[in-house]
Amino acid sequence: MKRTLQVLNELERGGVIERYAIGGAMGATFYVEPLLTFDLDVFVLLPRSAAGLLSLAPLYEALRARGYTEEGECVFIEGVPVQFLPAYNALLDEALREARETSYEEAPTRVVRAEHLIAICLQTGRDKDRERVRIFREQAELDMGYLAGVLKRHGLEGKWKQWTP
Amino acid sequence: MDTLKPEIARLFAAKEARRHKLAALPFPEKVRAVVRLQEMAAPVLRARGIKVRVWKLDDRVV
Repeated sequence: MKRTLQVLNELERGGVIERYAIGGAMGATFYVEPLLTFDLDVFVLLPRSAAGLLSLAPLYEALRARGYTEEGECVFIEGVPVQFLPAYNALLDEALREARETSYEEAPTRVVRAEHLIAICLQTGRDKDRERVRIFREQAELDMGYLAGVLKRHGLEGKWKQWTP
Repeated sequence: MDTLKPEIARLFAAKEARRHKLAALPFPEKVRAVVRLQEMAAPVLRARGIKVRVWKLDDRVV
């Protein structure tokens, strides 16, 4: 995975992506017990094209040029299937901008903050997201003041109350 | 409401403590644990016709 992250860092340095951060189950695993997943979910801020459009196509092209192959929704980068998710709303945009800087085996990387991962779960709203929120509450060290701000800014206070009676 | 027998309650408490201990591991160790989970889950999922691939960690000693 170290090489995978190094490739993501190279893409960011080269301007193919503006910024990236690990999210999904692997992002959650940073804060809680290891969770089974087969994909590495990576949230990305994409540079806008001249026409002002956001597209994953230049990213896929850059990866193909480096010899990495696509399979379904993922691209295999150094043995790890990576699923790129562009920041498609204000919450994801904020989650990416405020992601936590860390490192994995000396490779610098970013992980979405636990409070944002919770908000993303609330917004997505599947059964597995509800279960993940429960695990976060049980095991992660949360900044409750920060979480309250995120929930308020993105209209998720009602859902939080509903899921955490 | 039924109450748990003390020995069962102790087992649950031990499980909970282990989960907290796992949550406190360094990130690279957790990633290696996820890959071990993948190795355990993959044969079961493949038997059910679900296509999955176990990650290849570059830092992994096989």
